[in-house]
Amino acid sequence: MRRNRIWSWAILALAVMLTAGAPGLPAQSPSTLVVGLVAEPVGLDPAQVTDLNSSRVGRRVVETLVAFADESTQIVPGLAESWTISKDGLTYTFKLRKGIAFHDGTSFNAQAVKFSIERQINPEHPASKLGKYPFAGYFFGNVKAVEAMDDSTVRFVLKEPRASFLAILVAPAASVVSPTAAMKSGQDYTASPVGTGPFKFASWDRGQRVVLEKNPTYWRYPVKVDRVIFRPVTEDQARLTELLTGGLDLIVGTPPDFVAQLENNPKVTLQKQVGAHVWYLGFNNTKKPFDDKRVRQALNYAVNKDAIVRDVLKGTGSISKGPVLPGTWGDEGGLKPFPYDPERAKKLLAEAGLPSGFSTTLWVPESGSGMQSPVAMSTIIQSNLKAVGVNVTLQTMEWGTFLAKLRTKEQDMFALSWMAGSEDPDLVMYPLLHSSQWTPVGPNRALYKNTRFDEVLAQARLVTDQAKRAELYREAQRLLHDDPPWIFIDHEVQTAAFAKRVQGFKLHPSFDLRVETISLK
Amino acid sequence: MGRYLLRRLLLLAPVLLGVSVVVFLVLHLSPGDPAEIMLGSQATQEDVARLRAALGLDEPLPMQYARWMRHVLQGDLGRSIRMRQPVLPEVLIRFRATLLLTATALLLSTVGGVTLGVLSASRPNTIVDRLSTVGSIFGASMPSFWLGLVLMVCFSLWLGWLPASGMYSAHGGGGLGDLLAHLVLPAITLAAASMTIIARLTRSTLLDILRQDFVRTARAKGLVERAVVLRHALRNALIPTVTVVGVQAGYLLGGAIFTETVFAWPGVGTLMIQGILARDFPLVQGCVLVIALVFVFFNLAVDLLYAVLDPRIRYE
Repeated sequence: MRRNRIWSWAILALAVMLTAGAPGLPAQSPSTLVVGLVAEPVGLDPAQVTDLNSSRVGRRVVETLVAFADESTQIVPGLAESWTISKDGLTYTFKLRKGIAFHDGTSFNAQAVKFSIERQINPEHPASKLGKYPFAGYFFGNVKAVEAMDDSTVRFVLKEPRASFLAILVAPAASVVSPTAAMKSGQDYTASPVGTGPFKFASWDRGQRVVLEKNPTYWRYPVKVDRVIFRPVTEDQARLTELLTGGLDLIVGTPPDFVAQLENNPKVTLQKQVGAHVWYLGFNNTKKPFDDKRVRQALNYAVNKDAIVRDVLKGTGSISKGPVLPGTWGDEGGLKPFPYDPERAKKLLAEAGLPSGFSTTLWVPESGSGMQSPVAMSTIIQSNLKAVGVNVTLQTMEWGTFLAKLRTKEQDMFALSWMAGSEDPDLVMYPLLHSSQWTPVGPNRALYKNTRFDEVLAQARLVTDQAKRAELYREAQRLLHDDPPWIFIDHEVQTAAFAKRVQGFKLHPSFDLRVETISLK
Repeated sequence: MGRYLLRRLLLLAPVLLGVSVVVFLVLHLSPGDPAEIMLGSQATQEDVARLRAALGLDEPLPMQYARWMRHVLQGDLGRSIRMRQPVLPEVLIRFRATLLLTATALLLSTVGGVTLGVLSASRPNTIVDRLSTVGSIFGASMPSFWLGLVLMVCFSLWLGWLPASGMYSAHGGGGLGDLLAHLVLPAITLAAASMTIIARLTRSTLLDILRQDFVRTARAKGLVERAVVLRHALRNALIPTVTVVGVQAGYLLGGAIFTETVFAWPGVGTLMIQGILARDFPLVQGCVLVIALVFVFFNLAVDLLYAVLDPRIRYE
C-alpha cells in the first residue's frame, strides 16, 4: 500500500515535470524556416554583442541608417534615404525615411537614432548603465555629437574626418533601437529587442530556440516566411544530421571535412561565399631578423597556400595577396599572391645574411573567432618554413591568453585573423597596419611601420571621393606587397547548406545571414 | 534519525563553502580573461580595461569573492558576464532539462544494470552471462560522446527513427511523445557506462550471496529459484549497488555535459560549456553551486536508503 502511494507520487511528479517543461510551440507551418546555428546567441542587442551568432539573429530585428547592397558590401540607403557629407568631412547629415514604425508601434525618427548611438558613448545618458557596449570606443570614439535636427533629419558631427564613417554606420553597433522598448526592458532589453527589421522578436527558449516572426508591415519588401526559428546545434554531426533529416532547413559553419559530402548530396545545396575577412601570420616587424623585408618576402614565398586551402580548409578559404578583399573597389587587381617558391625563399634568406636559416617561435590560438583551423594551418606553415631552413616552435594557447600575450610585444610570429565585415580598406588596413595602432593602443600586433604607407592611409581618410580613395589604397597595397608585414594566407569562404525547399538565399560577404530574402517551396 | 539528518544538513554549509572557494579559484586562476575573450581581436587595451572595470574584474580576488558570496547568501547568483541575464533563473530553467536527462539515464542504468546483473548471476557461465560480460566491457570502454555520435548516425541519419538533437522538434510537436523521442538517444548514451558498471557489480555480489548459508536454507525449504534470487538474495546484494548508484548519479550529472553538447540538449551542461569557454565566472560558479547542492542532497538520500533496504542499519 505504502509502496503504491510512493509510486503514484513519483509518476505524478514526473508528469508535472514533463508538462512544465513543454512550452507552447508554434503550430507546424510550411512557412516556418528553421536555421541551425553553431552556438546559441548570447544576446540580441547588436550594440552589446561581439559574436557572429548573436548578430546574425539580432540584425533580423534591427536595422541601420545605411546598409550593404544585396551581394556586396557597397553602401546603399537603409533607414536613411539620403545623406550629405560636409566639405571638411566632419558632418554627416541623414534624411530619414518617413512612416516607418518600430515593432512596438512607436515611430522611427531622429530621436531614436540619437538615442541608439548616444546610449553607447555618453556615460550620462539614461540608457548608458543599462548595458555594456564593448565596441562603442572602436566604432563611435570619433563621434563628437549626434543631433536630431528635426523628426526626420539627423546629423553626426565627427572629431576628425574619416572617409569610412558610412561603412562604420553599417556595423551591428549602429543599429537603431526603439527607445521606448529599451528603457522599458532596461538591462533585459538584450533578451527582447525591438527594431524596424524584417522580423519581430517573438520568444526565446534558452538553450533551445529563438523565434522571430515576420514584420507584416516591413518597409522594404514583403517578407515571405512567417516565422524563423534559430536553433543552436553545436556538434557538427548533429547539425548535419538534422539538415539531412529535415529537422533544420539551413545550416551555417559547415566544417571543412563535411564540405565534399554535402556537395555530393542531392538533398541539399551547398553555397559558398568569400567573406570580408583575412587570416594572416604576423611577424614582429621590430625584431630581428623580421626587420629585414627580404626575410619577410622570403617567408611569403616559402609557404604553400594552395596546400593549406586545399588540404586543411577543403576549399573554405581563398588565397590572399593582402588585407583587402579581391574584386572590391579598393582592391589592387594588378597584384598576385606570392607564389610557392622555396628556392626563391632560400635565395632571399641568403641575401639577407641567413643562408642557413634561423629559429623562431609561432604563437597560435587553439581556436577563436574567424580563426578557421589555426593549429592545422600553422602546422603546415611550420613544415613549409622548415624546408627553407627556418625552425619554428609552435606555441598553442587559449584565445584569451593569446590576445593578452600579444600586448606584451614579445611575439616573434603569430597566427591571427580579422573579420572587418566590410570591404572598405580603411577598416582592415588602418587598424591592423598603421603605426598609430601599435598594440597595446590598437590592433597592429605586427608592430608594422612604413612611413609612406602611413601617409597614404592617413590621406585616404580625408578624401570622401571613392575613386580617389581607391587610388590611394591601391598604392598602399603595392607598398605592402613589397614590404610585407605578414605572411598573407587566406580569406575565409563561408558556407551554408540548405534544403531544396529553401529558395532565394544568398550568403553575404559581410558574414550577415540574410534569411529575410528566403521563400519556402 | 532526526538528529542524524540535522547533522548532515548542517554539514552542507562547509561543503558548499568549500565548493564555492574551489570553483572560484579554479576559474579565476585559469588563463584567459572574460573581457579579453568577449571583445576579441578588435579590442584596444582601453576597451578591455574599461570592460574589466565595469565587470569588477580589476579588484583583488578576495574582494571579488567576498562580493560574490555576499550576493549568493542573499540568493542572488549575479548576472552572467556574457549574456547579461541573471544567473539563477537561467540555471534553474536549464537544470530542469538536465535533471530529466540524468534521472532518465539513472533509471535506465539502474533497472537495466540490475536486470543484466541478475540474469548473468543466476545463469553463470551461460551464453547470457558471456554476452552480458562482453557487452559490459564494450559499454564501459566507449567514450560517451563517441557512442552518442554512433547512435545518432544509426538511428537518426540512416534509419530516421529518432531526432538527432534538441529537446522538442522545432516544427510543431512539443508534447510528451515528442519529448520522449528526443530523450531516447541522449539517455541511452549517458546511461551506457553506468549501466555496465552496475551490471558487473550486481553480478559479482549476487554470485557471492548465492553461495551463502541462508540461500541454501531458502532453497532447502523448497522455495522456487525465482523467489530465492529475487526476494532473498537480491535484497542483500543491493546494498553495494545502491552505493554505486549514488556515485553514478554524480557521475551522470557530470557526464551529462558531454551528452548534452553532442545532442544539443538544452541543459545546464551546454550552458556551462559556453560559460567556461567565455570565462563567464558568475555563470559557471552558479552552475557548479547548483549541481553541487543537488549532488549533496542526492548522497544524503542514498545514505537514508540503506536503512530501507537493510533494517538493521540505524543512524545515530
